[in-house]
Amino acid sequence: MSTVDVSSVSGWLRSYAEAISEHAAELTELDAAIGDADHGTNMNRGMQAVVAAIDGGDFADVAALLKKAGLTMVSTVGGASGPLYGTFLLRLGGALDGASDITAEKFGAALRAGVEGVVARGKAELGDKTMYDAWVPALDAYDAAVASGADLPAALQAAAAAAARGRDETTAMVARKGRASYLGERSAGHQDPGATSTTLLLESAAAALS
Amino acid sequence: MISIVVVSHSRALAEAAVALAGEMITGDERPRVAVAAGLDESTFGTNAAAVAEAITEVDTPDGVLVLLDLGSAILSAEMALEFVEPDVAGRVRLSSAPLVEGLVAAVVLASTGADLDAVTEEAESGLAAKRFHLGSAATVSETGADGTPDAPADEDSAVAAAATAEVTVSNAHGLHARPAAKVVALVRGFDAHVTLTNLDTGRGPVNAGSLSAVATLNARSGNRLRVEASGDQADEAVHALEELAARGFDDQPAAGSAAPRSERAAGSGLDLAMGPALVRKTDVDTSAYQTAEPETESRRSREAVATVRSRLHDLERRTSEESGAQAGAIFTAQVQLLDDPDITGPVDAEIAAGISAVEAWSRQLDEVAARFEGLADAYQRERAADVRSVRAALLRALTGKPDEDPDATGAPVILVVDELDAATAASIDATAVAGVVTVARGTTGHGVIVAASRGIPLLTGVGDDAAGVRTGQVVAFDARTDAFLPEVSEADQRRFADLVAERSRERIEVVEAARGPALTGDGHRVPVLANVASLADADSARANGAEGSGLVRTEVLFGDRAEAPTVEEQTETFLALAKAMGGAPLTIRTWDVGGDKPLPFLPMPREANPFLGARGIRAFRRQPRLLYDQLTAICRAARETPIRVMFPMVSNAGEVATAVAQLRHAAAIDAVLVSGERSTGFYASAETGSQAAAEAGSAVPEGLDVGIMVEVPAAALTIETLAEGLDFVSVGTNDLTQYTMAADRGNDAVAELADPLSPAVLRLIDRVCRRAPDGVEVAVCGDLASQPRAVPLLLGLGVRELSCTPPKVPDVKAAVRGTDLADARALAAEVLTAGEPAEIRELL
Repeated sequence: MSTVDVSSVSGWLRSYAEAISEHAAELTELDAAIGDADHGTNMNRGMQAVVAAIDGGDFADVAALLKKAGLTMVSTVGGASGPLYGTFLLRLGGALDGASDITAEKFGAALRAGVEGVVARGKAELGDKTMYDAWVPALDAYDAAVASGADLPAALQAAAAAAARGRDETTAMVARKGRASYLGERSAGHQDPGATSTTLLLESAAAALS
Repeated sequence: MISIVVVSHSRALAEAAVALAGEMITGDERPRVAVAAGLDESTFGTNAAAVAEAITEVDTPDGVLVLLDLGSAILSAEMALEFVEPDVAGRVRLSSAPLVEGLVAAVVLASTGADLDAVTEEAESGLAAKRFHLGSAATVSETGADGTPDAPADEDSAVAAAATAEVTVSNAHGLHARPAAKVVALVRGFDAHVTLTNLDTGRGPVNAGSLSAVATLNARSGNRLRVEASGDQADEAVHALEELAARGFDDQPAAGSAAPRSERAAGSGLDLAMGPALVRKTDVDTSAYQTAEPETESRRSREAVATVRSRLHDLERRTSEESGAQAGAIFTAQVQLLDDPDITGPVDAEIAAGISAVEAWSRQLDEVAARFEGLADAYQRERAADVRSVRAALLRALTGKPDEDPDATGAPVILVVDELDAATAASIDATAVAGVVTVARGTTGHGVIVAASRGIPLLTGVGDDAAGVRTGQVVAFDARTDAFLPEVSEADQRRFADLVAERSRERIEVVEAARGPALTGDGHRVPVLANVASLADADSARANGAEGSGLVRTEVLFGDRAEAPTVEEQTETFLALAKAMGGAPLTIRTWDVGGDKPLPFLPMPREANPFLGARGIRAFRRQPRLLYDQLTAICRAARETPIRVMFPMVSNAGEVATAVAQLRHAAAIDAVLVSGERSTGFYASAETGSQAAAEAGSAVPEGLDVGIMVEVPAAALTIETLAEGLDFVSVGTNDLTQYTMAADRGNDAVAELADPLSPAVLRLIDRVCRRAPDGVEVAVCGDLASQPRAVPLLLGLGVRELSCTPPKVPDVKAAVRGTDLADARALAAEVLTAGEPAEIRELL
């Protein structure tokens, strides 16, 4: 039986930090192609700070942990992914505040609240070549899996797989947000770094929250 | 006094900007300025928490102006507003002003005690002085903000009184290429320098006279644009642009398009013709042209361009009316050549340097044509003919040689041309021209397509025999035997007249026979329809007696577009198809993309296995907008002509339910839009539409039949549930065979496996016919329906409608007439017990 608690969410964030660290060079390279070549560095800085905050803190519940992580991202990432991931984690935490026995449904609703925060912040639309292009299929797949009776790990696996497909689809898109949008048509043919790090986040979740 | 916060990626940059601005103030009264920049002294980045702290630090009851650089600075500042107290957030203003100029302006004005609104406005016009000085645009508005130092009006300066306006992009698809071209065209008509700025994205100002520049505005529906103009006609230009914007940049069908269409005589529809030749050379004789002073040459050039432009617009309108927007677009592209700065720039420069307008235009357009000819893509090569056509038209206008349109009073002529361009093909008066002969090869050009769609007899690639023909000489040709007679004796003339009469009778008989309904020997009527992907197909289908279209391939119909066709264009094209088919029912298949069928305007991800990937309806799970637009166009067309809609590549009931829900949604929203505003796109009105959908009971338009294609074994095996509530299903035998046999018919190594007469495939078709819910008609629109030999078997299995390639309609009808349904059933039963395709072929 999977549980969403301080321990497992800490595990998720730690494993995401590891994944970011492992892929930092790749993320920066993707960003170098269409942006300002800092996504890997920025995310790595932010997630290392999150790990440090987890190590040094004592959290009453999942919501407190996620809020701390979100605020840490906001103040340490530096690039646009700081407010975006920060918003996601803050809203995710906010949606889980006071929740006991976090079911797959509750967690899905919280994920959606987090992503809604990201949209409100970044004003991205589907097809703008952003992390949103990975989030939408991921949430849909998650909800579909839950609706068909899947448990949390299975739903997260479905979400991660769908995010990966969404991430792949960004390659063909023309960027309409962020620094990459200055490149216009030339941004097509490159995978979006934000969609890539979002996929890693869900893959870490699928591995850690099981 | 208000306070100011500077948000930047770089602490050094922010601190230096603050110091620079501080130098402007001499007194003690100055606003408090806080900096939230960089992650530390040397690391670039922004931090929402730090921005919130900075705001809180300098917050005053008079308010806080936040100036920012770019990217995450904006996101961080917006986020910071959520971190500060709500009452504080309420008096914080995030400014789109340029950081350095805005900060300087803001600090200066704030120090006078001006309020937040005034300082914000001042900061945002912080670029005005720089722009004015550099002469890139006049920007100081006549009603400048309080405290704006009046720009010195230099009386000798070329920059006259500026005019500005703000307009809103109201058309559904934003300022994409076509409406942008309208803006460019309009602006070029005035003696003014006009710039546009997208106030919502901050893009600009850009030169409104440059298409590429306007395109970079990325102006979407709802965006506000600032128009700024200088020059003698600045006011007029701005006013005209306001009017154009108010009309949604004319990005909708013209108001008059619903007016009765002009009817023109069609060609004979035969494949032969005889008559006196009218030789028209693409090469215009310019030997008598007298080169004048550059000013005169420049005027002649402008006049010639205007003449040709007006002629092309006329052809565009006529062709669009007759053959649909797609055919008309050929001429839109030609008009663009006249306006392309890459062409007109060098032409103007050469004329200014003393070269004649004739030579300048010839040289430039020859170069462009040569570039097109050098391209690998066949479609692009065809564009060379368009360029030569425009070149000839310009030279005729310059040399005062009008287009020698044949005179309708004499005997119909045979037009002899080097190559048939679309303009000529479209402008031919079919009562005055009996046929067209081309010297050069090419059977796929725009001109050939247009001529064929008009039923004008045509023989291409005659070569030297035609090259030697002179005007007035009687010639004849028979495309059926590929024969050309450059000289016609009296005996030939009689023989040819007989042949023409015989072919006319033959054609009438064929058409009559094909037009009649197809009844089986025992009296069951089987509709025989045609698969179409163009207007030419529709013409051919009707001529061959098709009783409608069982498959309109929309992805091919619009496949040569660089941009997605609008709802209006699609509606118009569907109606043009229906008209070409005499109002017979059309079965419109929604975009069938993916696999081997990419669309330029629908980027698809690279898939390891595209045939098992996001094909057909699956492609729109993530990007539903294109599908909604198409469904809207289908609903609109369905109000005027019989239409069926068909969804491709469905494999489970959920997909059918989703597609039908999307159709209902599109229908409901459109029903609302019909009575109200049409220009808003689907998404813009989705919210009101959803309510409307609920109120309207989510119905599809009256008479719009809904069906699916059966191409996947899963669909055939679950047809009972899949087709529940539908009107029809249509079996796509090609894909059904590929997916059933797991064999690609294009792969020689396994092609023999991909046989639609395989027992497995036939059993699936049998199952679909037996198990489809009551009232659901089963059609076949795949290749098998184009094989007359398979007709008895399909009818025996229970198929009740066939849709084949247009030329096969008469043969398929003949096959239906030769079949008795009772015998066919026995045949089908026997075939279903056979083991091998070879055995089955034997039985047929």
